[in-house]
Amino acid sequence: MIVSYKWLKKLTEVDLSVEDLATLIGERLVEIEGIEDISDKYQGIVIAKVVEATDIEGSDHLHLTKIDDGGVVRDVERDASGYVQVVCGAPNVREGMLVVWLPPKTVVPETYGTKEPFVLGARELKGYKSNGMLASAKELDLYEDHSGILEIRGDRELGMSFIELFEYDDYLLDIENKSLTHRPDAFGMIGFAREVAGIQGKKFSYYSWFDQLQPEPETDGSTETPKVTIDDPDLSDRFEAIVLSDIDLNAERPMGTQTFLARSGIRPINTTVDVTNYMMLLSGQPLHAYDYDKLLKVGGGKIDIHVRLAKKGEKLKLLDGKVIELSEDDIVIANGDVAVGLAGAMGGASTEIDAKTTRILLESATFNLYKMRGMQMRHGIFTEAITRFTKGVPAELGAPVLAEAARMICEQTGAKIVSKIGEDYPGKRETIQIEISLAKINDTLGTQFAAEDVTDLLGNVGLETDARGLKFTVTVPYWRNDLHIPEDIIEEVGRLAGFDTINLTLPRRDFVAVRPDDFDGLRSKVRSALVRAGANEVLTYSFIHGDIMKKSGQDPAQAYRLTNSLSPELQYYRQSLTPSLLVNVHPNIKAGYDHFALFELNKFHTKLAGETDEKVPKELDGLAFVLARSKKAQGSAYYEAKQYLDYIAETLGLEFAYEPLEEKSDYPVTQPYEYRRSARVWDARTRERIGVIGEFKRSVQKAFKLPEYSAGFEIAPRGLLKAVSQLENSYRPLSKYPGTERDICFQVKSDVSYQQIVDSVSEGLSTDLQTAIEPLDLYQPEDGETKNITIRIKLVSYEKTLKSEEVNGVIEQVSAHVCKQLDAVVI
Amino acid sequence: MPSHDTDAVREKLLKLVEASEAPRDVLRAPDLKELYGAIATLPAEERGAFGKAVNEVKLAVEAAVEAREAALEDSDVSPIDITAPWDLNSSRPSLLSTTQGSQHPLTKELDNVIDIFTRMGFAAVESRQIDDDFHMFGSLNFPDDHPARDGYDTFRTEEGFIPPAHTSTMQHRILKDGKAALEAGGQIAAISYGRVFRNEDVDATHEHTFYQVEGVFVSQDATLGQMLGTLRSFFETYYGQQLRIKTQPAYFPFVEPGLEFAIEKPAAIGGKPGDWLEMLGCGMIHPNVLEQAGIDPAKYRGFAWGGGIERLVMLKYGIEDLRHFESARLQFLRKFA
Repeated sequence: MIVSYKWLKKLTEVDLSVEDLATLIGERLVEIEGIEDISDKYQGIVIAKVVEATDIEGSDHLHLTKIDDGGVVRDVERDASGYVQVVCGAPNVREGMLVVWLPPKTVVPETYGTKEPFVLGARELKGYKSNGMLASAKELDLYEDHSGILEIRGDRELGMSFIELFEYDDYLLDIENKSLTHRPDAFGMIGFAREVAGIQGKKFSYYSWFDQLQPEPETDGSTETPKVTIDDPDLSDRFEAIVLSDIDLNAERPMGTQTFLARSGIRPINTTVDVTNYMMLLSGQPLHAYDYDKLLKVGGGKIDIHVRLAKKGEKLKLLDGKVIELSEDDIVIANGDVAVGLAGAMGGASTEIDAKTTRILLESATFNLYKMRGMQMRHGIFTEAITRFTKGVPAELGAPVLAEAARMICEQTGAKIVSKIGEDYPGKRETIQIEISLAKINDTLGTQFAAEDVTDLLGNVGLETDARGLKFTVTVPYWRNDLHIPEDIIEEVGRLAGFDTINLTLPRRDFVAVRPDDFDGLRSKVRSALVRAGANEVLTYSFIHGDIMKKSGQDPAQAYRLTNSLSPELQYYRQSLTPSLLVNVHPNIKAGYDHFALFELNKFHTKLAGETDEKVPKELDGLAFVLARSKKAQGSAYYEAKQYLDYIAETLGLEFAYEPLEEKSDYPVTQPYEYRRSARVWDARTRERIGVIGEFKRSVQKAFKLPEYSAGFEIAPRGLLKAVSQLENSYRPLSKYPGTERDICFQVKSDVSYQQIVDSVSEGLSTDLQTAIEPLDLYQPEDGETKNITIRIKLVSYEKTLKSEEVNGVIEQVSAHVCKQLDAVVI
Repeated sequence: MPSHDTDAVREKLLKLVEASEAPRDVLRAPDLKELYGAIATLPAEERGAFGKAVNEVKLAVEAAVEAREAALEDSDVSPIDITAPWDLNSSRPSLLSTTQGSQHPLTKELDNVIDIFTRMGFAAVESRQIDDDFHMFGSLNFPDDHPARDGYDTFRTEEGFIPPAHTSTMQHRILKDGKAALEAGGQIAAISYGRVFRNEDVDATHEHTFYQVEGVFVSQDATLGQMLGTLRSFFETYYGQQLRIKTQPAYFPFVEPGLEFAIEKPAAIGGKPGDWLEMLGCGMIHPNVLEQAGIDPAKYRGFAWGGGIERLVMLKYGIEDLRHFESARLQFLRKFA
């Protein structure tokens, strides 16, 4: 919404500069997004009189004029009498006319602020010099009239600045609509001015017409009172209509109304429409004017207006020429059976006012704001009127505004009121009264207001208080339909006085630091471990493309799908984190990174996980890690990823077991992994499920352009937490005796795994010594049939220094066990 | 008369695909062509059903071809010993250099913010990434169809779930969980943090995905002055200096009064006196919100606030474009190594 500073000052006393006022409004009413100084647009433009106008020979439309600006414009060529020569193409130029002159070096206002502002000069036209130009309303950016130059009425001083005459020494305050959603009253200048008075600590006083809640405009009664029916009281609280006759749409337009309309962002159209718009800006109550005779024709000679829901399949041609198909949730205005307007949104084409209109029916109504909101979205109509209706226009406002608008139209066009007001008012509300104590106000805000402070602050903006000692009854005026409960009154007091005047304190409590949540602590630990190990943490979107899922082998049907996503790229909730990392491998390689690891700790969602007790989808926490190397390296990428996973285990004091991944699985998490080169991961001691690690399927590698050397894992931090929480303190004091170690190499068939050797060795080490097994070397000769696994066995006794033969005995026993169990040979 | 037995053709072609080394060739089999050819020879009323059946055969064969191709492609994948510490004839792979590792700047800042609040006595709860209308709106005093809902530009899933547009989606849960402690003479003091979503086109200053931190405090004697004091105290700790604050009235259905909260831009991030930074929205918890959680608004009062994390991070490092955060570009991430 645009608020004119000048207009505001006409409605209430303001003794602050525009900057200070804007700051105060920001602190106590609503955010101001910007202040625009509009005087600059009309700089240098003056009022002048045409003293001579003759046709230019050889041109069908150009006139040569001499104008008198009282000699005020400097540096311009003048004749002996001091007049300035201007060539003008307008058909209405004539001697004696007062016009708006744009002297050389001024900018045509219509082009002001555009990419190519048009700066006037002294140019030759058909051999005659033209000093600047005489301007039309359109060129002055006032309204769409380019049929001739703008004529200034009345007696004006020649050379008077245009800015002064039309009060363009003004600033426009750009108000953020969103933060006034709950304040329909502030969507009118009167309401806004009332607030401006209140926040300055001044009492606001009203127009006399504004207080006339039951006006009875004088009428000759020559036309029947329009019959008005609200079919369902849920649709509209109140609907009123009045008929005016002898309208002259070509009547001269009062410039005051028009220039304030134009600067508030509404194009002037004709006297009648301008009045309805002006009254809407002033009061917040939108009005609509129908051509009365067209309305009669639609109704077969009768006026029988209904506010009703649209019928299925019903169509309506709107003022903007669009034909819309109505929904059964749309409210329409109908005469008889025929819809003639989309209520509150836009009038219908069939009853549009045009140049021949002489009689109008003027409507003032209010509609169900929720229905208005649906209609706004459904039909994409965002007019000034519907914007106000969606905030909830109070019904009481309608009558005084209708009467005042009718009066203004009569005054400006010579029309007369020919009917009484026809009305249906099913939604009359009781006046709201709110009880509140001074103590509650001060306790909630942390303030020390006295009773008079409260009474004054509220009284300034029309909230009358009946004080009984330290308790108040506040009577809520009809325009404040946002005030219902004591907290609303507390806000008004705090706001009008200024929240920034409140003393700052801290809650009265013992501040005891809270221990961070265990899960948060665990995630932090894992995150820092990975960062220490050279990996880069990423955050990627929670939503992905269905194709990314398919490329990863996942089924989009199991994913939650957004119905209103911004693009297909963000359509599905991801069912695991790995695909989001895979997407980002290739771009980073292309950017010149040839060996890196990405990881993400985040949530993911799949329908397979089901819902919680609250009937919302279960959320799954994941840690995904992907490692890539653009150039071929020794060994398989799997083992490098495993190195990271074992590092995490070590950081947390866990030990992971790696077991074969099944060929086919239903879990979205495991889908991208190639089962022959991947493993399921468990915590070895607690058997908690940890996740999956491996290289990716060829199809996945190809789809994501992954290098051959790439691998990753996706694990469940909650699984880690469960395993960690079961950890017992495994610390054992160090032995006083030196330990010893032996290396041993087993030759086994190539399908025997490293883990089988370790398990077999552990089993064979049936001894009360403390033992440890470490890998030393894994060798496979070229034939590929066997492999040699060399391990180191460490032995420590808590009782004595081990003798060589004791150690040999243990090792022999172990070797024999392994050789027998795994068909191995010690070499 | 050509064969009309679509089932037989399907079975035959699927077998061919399963055995083929070049499965795509099966799609050009004459059997399929004949089936298509047969459509036109049928009486008009039978064409629809038969055409559909033929099409289903084609789709089934195509799916089989794709599966077979993927299997063929993977057929020479050699298994590895998943339990081994490193590859055969190789050695233990080393981890990447510590100097190139980096934590994401957003999680780093979240850690920092959570740390300050937990020291101030606020428990930290992670916010949900998918929720329902009740938690996102209903429990927070947004009536159905209320225009204030428009301001949140929410996404919806087919089932009607909502990717939350604010971390306040946790507020009802926090209040319910804290009710017992409150009624035993204690207070509710918690923050919720996490990812939120708005249906908004992305550019340098707009993101559909961002991070918020929300705070909730309820006691017998909470005041608006305490709320402003708590928030100033947080920002003073965060920036390590004294700060001036200012507020502006604002409308959020779940608070009354509602405010926007700004701090004077700290010198540490290049601020000069008179530069203000809007930091968050806040207010006294609306009595309806307390009531929804079973807390008696006649006995208890509370305040709540919520603000974004990206802004803190951008100001701290001078980051110019919101889109960097979820870009997963190493070029950006390694600046935080």
